[in-house]
Order: sequence, then C-alpha cells, then structure tokens
Amino acid sequence: MGRYIIRRLLQAMPLLFIISVIIFVLTTQMGDPLSMFGGGRRALRSEDRIRLTRQLGLDKPLYMQYVIWLAGNDWMPIDADADGKQDVDENGKLVYGTRKGALRGDFGTSFATRQPVMDMIKERLPNTLLLMLTAEVVIIISSLVIGLVSALKQYSVFDHTVTALSFIGFSMPIPLLALGLIYIFAVYFKRWGLPYLPTGGMYDPQVGQSWQQTLWHMVLPVTALSVITVAGYSRFIRGSMLEVISQDYIRTAKAKGLADRRIVFIHALKNAALPIVTIIGLDLPFLLAGAVVTESIFAWPGMGRLFYDHTTRSDFPVLMGIMMIISVAVVVFQLITDLTYTFLDPRIRYD
Amino acid sequence: MSNRLFAAFSGLMIVAMILSACAPAATPVPPTQPPAQPTAKPAEPTKAPEPTKPPAPTATPAPTAIPKPKVVRIAFPQEPDNLNPYYSNMWFAAILNALYINTSLLEYNDKAEAIPNVAKEIPTAANGGISADGKTITFKLRDDVKWSDGTPLTADDFVFTWQMVMSDKNAVVTRDPYDVAVDKVEAKDKTTLVVTFKEPYAPWQAKVFQNVSAGSGALPKHILEPVFTKDGTIDKAEWNRKPTVGFGPFVFKEWQSGSSITFVANPNYYKGKPKVDQIFIKIVPDDAAQIAALKAGDSDIGTFISYEDMADLEKLGTLDLVKTPSGYQESWIMNLSTNSKTAGHPALQDVNVRKALVMAVDRDKIVKDLLEGRTKVSATFWEGTPYANPDEKPLKYDPEGAKKLLDAAGWTVGKDGIREKTIGGKVVKLKLRYATTTREVRKNVQAIVQQMWKAVGVDAELINHQSDLFFASYADKGPIALGQYDIQEFSTNPNFPDPDIARWLCKEIPSDANPTGVNDQGLCDKDLDALFAKQTVTVDAAARTKIFWDIGKMLNDKVYWNSMWDDPDWYATSKKLVNLKLSGGTPFWNAVEWDLKQ
Amino acid sequence: MQVQVREIRSRFTLHVLRPTGTGMATVTDVFSPTAEETLTKEPLTPAQLAWRRFRRHKMAMFGLVLLAALIVYVIGGAFVFSEEFANFNDVGIKLLSPSAAHPFGTDAIGRDILARTVYGGQISLIIGLAAVGVSLVVGVTVGAVSGYYGGWIDSILMRFTEALLCIPQLFLLIVAAKYLSGKIPNFEMFGRTFSGSVIIIILIIGLDSWMYLARIVRSQMLSLKEQEFVTAAHCTGTSNAAIIVTHILPNTIAPIIVNATLGVANAILTEAYISFLGLGVRPPTATWGNMLENANRYLETAPWMWFFPGMLILLTVLAINFVGDGLRDALDPRAMVE
Repeated sequence: MGRYIIRRLLQAMPLLFIISVIIFVLTTQMGDPLSMFGGGRRALRSEDRIRLTRQLGLDKPLYMQYVIWLAGNDWMPIDADADGKQDVDENGKLVYGTRKGALRGDFGTSFATRQPVMDMIKERLPNTLLLMLTAEVVIIISSLVIGLVSALKQYSVFDHTVTALSFIGFSMPIPLLALGLIYIFAVYFKRWGLPYLPTGGMYDPQVGQSWQQTLWHMVLPVTALSVITVAGYSRFIRGSMLEVISQDYIRTAKAKGLADRRIVFIHALKNAALPIVTIIGLDLPFLLAGAVVTESIFAWPGMGRLFYDHTTRSDFPVLMGIMMIISVAVVVFQLITDLTYTFLDPRIRYD
Repeated sequence: MSNRLFAAFSGLMIVAMILSACAPAATPVPPTQPPAQPTAKPAEPTKAPEPTKPPAPTATPAPTAIPKPKVVRIAFPQEPDNLNPYYSNMWFAAILNALYINTSLLEYNDKAEAIPNVAKEIPTAANGGISADGKTITFKLRDDVKWSDGTPLTADDFVFTWQMVMSDKNAVVTRDPYDVAVDKVEAKDKTTLVVTFKEPYAPWQAKVFQNVSAGSGALPKHILEPVFTKDGTIDKAEWNRKPTVGFGPFVFKEWQSGSSITFVANPNYYKGKPKVDQIFIKIVPDDAAQIAALKAGDSDIGTFISYEDMADLEKLGTLDLVKTPSGYQESWIMNLSTNSKTAGHPALQDVNVRKALVMAVDRDKIVKDLLEGRTKVSATFWEGTPYANPDEKPLKYDPEGAKKLLDAAGWTVGKDGIREKTIGGKVVKLKLRYATTTREVRKNVQAIVQQMWKAVGVDAELINHQSDLFFASYADKGPIALGQYDIQEFSTNPNFPDPDIARWLCKEIPSDANPTGVNDQGLCDKDLDALFAKQTVTVDAAARTKIFWDIGKMLNDKVYWNSMWDDPDWYATSKKLVNLKLSGGTPFWNAVEWDLKQ
Repeated sequence: MQVQVREIRSRFTLHVLRPTGTGMATVTDVFSPTAEETLTKEPLTPAQLAWRRFRRHKMAMFGLVLLAALIVYVIGGAFVFSEEFANFNDVGIKLLSPSAAHPFGTDAIGRDILARTVYGGQISLIIGLAAVGVSLVVGVTVGAVSGYYGGWIDSILMRFTEALLCIPQLFLLIVAAKYLSGKIPNFEMFGRTFSGSVIIIILIIGLDSWMYLARIVRSQMLSLKEQEFVTAAHCTGTSNAAIIVTHILPNTIAPIIVNATLGVANAILTEAYISFLGLGVRPPTATWGNMLENANRYLETAPWMWFFPGMLILLTVLAINFVGDGLRDALDPRAMVE
C-alpha cells in the first residue's frame, strides 16, 4: 500500500508540471497586465510602461519567467536599475532577488493589488469553503433522501414528479435560476411585505458581520448551487439503488424475512452509495474553485470571483496560484478517494 | 464491511461539517479599535429590526445614552486594488485618498479652482513662490499639520516620498512628473519645500504632489522608511493595504477583501472634526447591484450612474443626481497611419471623408434616446474647462451633405448599396472596422451608428475587445496599438484638470523602435506638434489657454478627433447627505464638512 | 423473471423487478420478436431494435418532439423575420415590455427580442453541434490511438488528458477565451456576417470536453482489441488504421452517440455561462447566451430580457437531455442481444 501511494505521488509530478506549463503559457500570453493599471480609466505613459515592464520582470523571455515563477530568483543576482551591471548593496555584495518560487510556496505578487498571492488566496478561501461545503452537505443529504425514496417508490407519482423536476433541474442554466431566485425571493417578497432574502454579499453593512447574517445571506446562493447538482446526483443514486435492489443477495435477504428497512439501509444503501463516494471524493477539490457564475451574481467574495476578476486584468500570478492549488488538491483527493475505495470495497486491491 | 462503509461515510460527513463550522471562525472578526477614537462599532444595530434579519435574536439593544453613529455608506462596483496612492491608478482607489491620506499640497474645489491644503498658499511669481526663471517653486507648508498618530507632517515626508518614487526598487505605477520634469526636491526646513524643474513646467499645479492622477501628496516617512530599510522596497508594505496611520478627516480602520472598507472620523484633523462618524465602503459586484443598493436606501452615494438608471433613481425622490466635469470625452479616433503595417482604410486619409462619417451620424438623437438627453455632444476635447475654444461647434447631422461629400471624394454607391472606389486598379469597398471595448453602452452605440452609416452607403465591421486588450501597448500586441482598426471609440483623459495630452505627438507613434508609444492613431502633423511643444513650456495661464484654443480648432478642422458625447461623472447622492460638494478632480475633498440628516 | 413482494406491515414496499435501466418502459417486453415474426420476417437490425426501444420511452419521444419544435422555431422563424428586422434598432422604443407588436418585448436599443431569439437560437444550436463535432474528432482520435497502440503513446496521451481534467472546466474556458479573444476576425457566410468569436467559442468548448470521450473510447478500445475478430483482421493483413476505423469504432458507437448528444446540451449551457461572464460571443452576432449577458442590470426593470432567452435555453437543454436519456436506454448493449 505504501509503495502504491509513493508511486501515485511520483506519477503526479509530471502531471502537475504539464498543467503548470500549459496554464503558464496561456495566462502570460492572454493580455497585458500593465494596460489595466488604471482600472481601464487611464492609460499608462510610455516611460512608466517601460520602467514597470522591467521592474515587474515582464521583459524577460517566457522560459525565464517560468523558471523564476517555479524556483524563485533569490539565487540570481538582479539588476534593478537596468544599467547592465548587477546590483551591489552598500557593502559591495551582490543583491539577489526576493522570490522563493512556487516550489517553496511563494506564488509571487499580484500585479493588480501588489499583495502576495498566497495572502489573497487565504483571504478568500474560507468564504468559498463556507459556501461550497454547506452546499455539498445539503446536496449529499438531499440527493440521498430523494434518490432513495425515488428508487423505493419506482414508477409512483412521487418518482415521476421527481424525475421530471430533476431533468428540469439539471437542464437549467445557472444565470436563469439564480436571477429567478433573486427576483422572487428578494425583490418580490419585499414588495409583498413578506420576510425577504438579501440580494447579495455576505452581510448587511448596517447590521454588521455576524454568523446569523452570513447564514441568512447564504440561503439563496446555496439553493442555487444545490438545485442543479441534487437533480443530477439524485438520479444517479436512484439508478444505483435500483441496480442494487435487483441483485440476488437482496432477494435472498427478503426471502430470509428481514425487515425492509433493514434491507434498504444496511444492505442496499451501502453498496449503492459506493459510486457516490467516488463522485463526491472527486468533486471535493473542485469545491475550492468555487462557482464563478454564482459568486458573481450573489456578490459572494470567494475564489471563483477572485479568479474571474483577475482574469480580466490578465493578472497571471494570481491565476497560476489558484490553478496550481486546485490541481494539487485534485491529485491528492484522487489518491484519497482511491484509497478510501479499497476500504469500502474489499474486492479492489492495489499492489 | 458495512461498518467500515458507515464509518467512512460518517467520517466524511463529520469532516465536512467540522470544516464548514471552522470556516466562519477563519473569516475576519471585528478588529480592535484604533487608540483614542470614538467607539463607533459597526456591529451595533442603528435602526429598528429590518425584515432582512433572520428570526434569531440579533444584537443587544443599544443603551439610550450613546447617540447613534452617523455612517455614510457608499457602494463601489469595483474594489480598489491598493490604498497606497502611488501603487494604484484606479479611480476607485484615488477617490478615497482625500479621506485618509489627504496630503496633497493643493486641492481642487467643486468649481475646479485650486485652493491650498497642506501648503499655506498657492505659490505665484508675485509672492515669491515661483522663481524668476520659472524653474524653481517653493512651497510654504502649514505648521499645524500632524499625522493621525500625532507625528508632525513636514517637508521631510515630501522629500522621502520623492525618493521612494524615484527609487528603482519600488515598482510605483507612475513617476510622472518626477522622472521627466523634476530635477530635485529638497526640504529647506521643516515647513519649506523646494521643487526644482529642468525646464519651466506648466502643468505643475495639477501634477506635483497632487492627488488627481496616480500619486498624491506625501507618504508617512516614519512608517515607511523602516519598511524600506528592512525589505529593500515598499512594494509589499503592510501599510499599502492597511494605512492605519494617515492624514485626513478620516482614519482607515479595516478592509475586508471583497466585502468592505471602513473609515472612522479623525478628531485631530487640522480642519476640525468631521460631522459624520464613519464612512463605510461596500463592494458590490456590478452597477446593477449598486443601483439596487441606492434604491433600497442601502447606499448614500452612487458613482458613475449610467443614463438608463437616472430616471428610475430620480423617481424615488430620495436621491439627487449630481454632475461633475471629469475631463472625459467619449471620442472617435480615426486611424491615420501611413505605415503599411498599421495603416487604416485609405478613405480615411481624405479629410472630407472623415467629415462625412461624422455628419452621417445623428449624435443628438443618440444623446437624447440612449443617454436620456442628460448630456450633450462636445465641441472640443476640453469641453467644460477654460481651455475649450468657445467659437467651435460640433458638426451638424446632415446625411445628404455627407452623401455629397462622399460622392465628391470619388466614393460611389455600388450595386450592394455600399460605396466603392477603384484604387490602384482594385475596387475598394468603404467598409470600416469600428472597434471599442465591451461596455454595453458602447456596443449599443456601435449598432446604432452601423445602421446610420448604412443609410449613406458606408458599411461597418463591429469589433469589441476587453478593456485590457483594447488598451494594451504595441509591445504587448494590443490590437489598437497595432492599427487593426479604422475608427476606435473610447473615453480617457490622462491629466485632468491639466489639459496636456500626449496622444497626438509625432514622437509617440508606436513602432518596433518605440513599442510603448501612445499615438495609436499614427498621426504626425508638424503644425500640431509645434503647438503642443509650445504649451508645455508656457507657464502663463492665459497664453497657454490661447494655444489650446488653436489646438482645438485644428483638431476639429482636420477631424483628427471627434466627439460622441461629453462624459461627465454622474453621482447619485442621498438627500440625507448634506454639504456634499463633489469636485471633478478630487470628489471627496470636503468630506470633513459632510453631515447626515437622520 | 418478475417477482413482486408486498409487505403490508411496513411502509417500505420492495419491488424486485428486472432492471430496465432508468427509463419508464413497462415491464412486459414487447421488443423481442414474437415467435411468428421470427419465422416469417427478416430479423430486425440493431438500429431498428434501438428505434423501437426509443419509441417506447415516453420522455424521450416528448424530448424529440420538443426539439423538433425548437428547430422549427429557429429555422422557420428566419422566414418570418428577416435578419434586417432582428438587428434593426430604434433607441426610441427601447425596453418595452411584451406587447402585440413585440411579443417578447424590446431590448436596450429597441431591437425586437422575439426575432433576436430566432437568430440567436441558430447560433446557439450551431455552436452546440459544432463544439461537439470538435470534441468528437479530437476525443475519438486520442482515445482510439491511445487504446489501440498502448505503451508509451498511451501513457503520454493519458497523462495529458488527466492534466486537463485536473483543471476546473470553467476556469480553463475563461482563460482560453481570454487568450484567444480578438484573434479571429469577423467572417461572412451565406451573406451574413458572423463575429470571429463564434469560432473561438466553438473551439474552446470543443477542446474543453473531449477528455471524457477519449477515456470512454479508450476503455472500449482496450476491451475490444483483444477480441477474435480483430485478430482475424490482423491475419488478413488489414492495416491498423483500417482496423480501428472499420472494425472497432463501429462497435463503440453507442456510448459515443450518447455522450455526444448530452455533449450538445452541455455545450449550449457552457456557451450561456461564458457569454454571461462577458467572454463569449461578441456583437454583431446574437446568441441566447449573450442575450443574458447584462441581465443583472435589468433584473427588475426588464425581466423579459433575460427570461425568454433563459427559458429557451432551458427547453432546448431539457429536450436534448430527454433524448439522450432515451438513447442511452435504447442503445444499451445488454438489450441489443435479445
């Protein structure tokens, strides 16, 4: 088992390397970070543009920029004043760069905010996790319940209704769903004098930040996120459950005279839930990515919005940082899921 | 096996719950109070319970002895990137500077007049502030000005700021004007600041230690110098994101990324204590959310109100719509480059064709219908300032006249209704690439113009680029800089309130030798160049104004520039907010006088 | 074999039935030919068998009808409204709510929304189909080559595929859309002008979704290439390419078809998200997605602007999902071997 883990981790290295190269090339070539220094309202002067290109390291060839991103430049003497000679400080010693590189956890600084990328991510990550994990819990519970009941009452009115609603659910474009929810629960409820939900943000500034405020503001975004996923997962659980129920050992248990409830929960559900564990395990790292569209509509300050806001400004250190963290998380979670699977299904063994 | 599955499953759920329970603790908690400030806690409920509160009991009832804090709330549709004025060029960051780092030497009031701020008086030749050769300006500073932590604000702070800006270790956004015009900055004593220029520099009032473009007045030397010594740069100073020591009617309190920025009143400000207790900036995702906040009464000031929303906002009766001149003009620039790599459509080389293109568009109708008639077409680029030539008028809408001009220029209507001309043996169609950014109002204007041009036989290809691509330089293969357009539409004004602008200078044409040039029009007119060169060194205001009148006339006669509409900044302000005098350059200059009627 | 067991005591009644997939087909089997048919008629081809199964799937038939109606809407609508009319703008009549003259209302510069949804629908559907076409070409090729040849080719291709799968789909799309934006000029086809961004969107959606197809094809390839008919083909000297194309691929059609059908739905949704974020198709071309683009600002004041395009997207995707579900049942290989 140990050797398997090590082998998987080693295999992941070239994977992560490929990802980082692909994303690096795409993000550095997709636009000009300096042109947005005015927020679009003022263009840079030529003199400032030349100077900033040099100071921010954008004049170096692409492969050099990648090396600096990966391994930092604190082992390289720098030439900040562009006089062609490497800098020396008061004691006559060479001045080195200050970046440690991604391999040591330093993703550089954002061009837009001049903040270290890791700090920015740390600020936004808890917000995204709060939203996505809550949604995930809601999704798991709802899909299990709906899928289970649907399977047990196959072809009943409940089943048909749920099936129809599920199809509508996972065919719905998120903007329509989210805007519709806001329209009904925030705008119209207010007009009709009913207690209404807020239109966006994490808390109401006049009341200040509190966990009740956050909870109240989470209702609509979590609903929007859950509806679509629950629609898909519940059908999956239903199908999986149906397959398990038709197996011989369930018939045997029935014939033995076991109570239905015991059969369903102890024998059937556990086996039906195996594929779900896989799906959830593989989905978890993507929770870090947040939901770009939902966060945009509901003004939730999370990772998805961070990514989108900085894409429009071609701010590639932030984009690289977010992508690499998610990729590492995906690799790690895939490994964890596979290992969990061996615990759950003894038929599966890795050497 | 079943037990293990259950165990694994429950384990997963428990972990998920724990993580989601931990997460709120990781979000920022209300920060500690800055010393010696009034205790205006943002968490305290100020009004009767609103329907937005969840059913659970929310907060302790306020004791009647403490008066309710006056909080001015402003909804920003963009989040400022950095609170150090030298590291941000963003309007939404610059506008806040007047609140917490109001260290500029002069400031501009709502009549666009310069008045003294940290400087005691405006230096002139008469009071000896400006030397005889025009190259040295001496500022006498006030002696009663202190940073919010009590340290005196002196000329040393200004000298330190200049050193930081010019240091190669600091990647500041702009060094303008210090890298091109300023020779040195010295402190003769604690209250005397001497700035020496290489040549007499006309725009000094708006550019030297003034917070209208990027940059501002002085940075706190006692806070940032230790950072510079330790880190070798102030790029990553914590003060840049949390400027807790400042100089202004308000003091920075906290910044929650993506959510809000809070400022509290500074009782030690030299102009007196502000009447409001707090200013709360809420970050909203876009304009629609800002409008929603204004309508709901959740925001007291709205910025960049677009024309469609104004009628709705006025109907509410709780808001005033205020217009401030910003120097921004929604403009057309036509590609006049003769370089084969960046050349525009050959038709544009003919000034009559350019005139016809403008005459074919009913700009007044666009202003009336799309912009609700709340602005007008400008006559010159400097509309609304003394530098605008009063004799100039915009071209009138005249489609028949346009057709005649095009016919006379040799562009005759072809079979498909689009004009064409034979040039060098080939038939060339009059189809123009019309490029702009992705803002909705611009996309709408493109569609309208396209239809109006069709009526006179001109075809248009509509191109939209994201802003950062649109403004990208020649070095970064920006499509506009590379000349991949025939007409571009945008709005910018680099130096307001100073009229200087570099875009029409011959030396600014971008090329491989000059990859950062800003003259993406490819225009080189020797007479125009001469006028611009003259105004830079003409310090006498009246004479300089006359030169700009001539420039304005030339730009119009030769249609080097065309106005689509005058683009002032529109604010929506709550009627409860009084004494608000928004100025064009530094809108929040009189924040100390603001008051909230309860 | 059918067993029905009812327990009256508890609330749970357990029906143990022969699984017929997730469809709503009845249990009595009408698909296998009767004894008479077997003797007198030609045996049904797999395609005909599949069609019969599909027909019984009520939701799938409903989806097919709905899809046909939508196609009639976008194609037939083009005969009712000319493109001139759809693009005709008159700012004086902007933002009108639905009325007799403009059944879906007008947009921010006075264009008729009904007509725009017709032409926008054409583009959205074209993008959906073309994007799936791109992902089919790339995915099937990569999967087939990888599965057939194995070895280091397989290793490299699969590593690359996994690398792309590690990246969240929307993030990859946003970055790709930004990178390619503005690089393809507007072009003309059939006398109409289309924005170059249509090609860009087709490419990036297609290149973002081929990975799943590649894995499916590869796993099918791995199992099929060991079968006898492939060995036989080798013996007769058939080239590798011919074996892949004429022998193996036809046997993998079923999952490819299902995946492709659902892929069209996914592509239409993705186009809507990208356009909503502002990185999608640019003017002058309209799509259902970019009609949603500035919907936020008109949430309250002009809900018809986002409601109608949104509903059309919903109906189209719904119809495709129904059809895809039906196809999945109809083409289920277990049912083919009757």
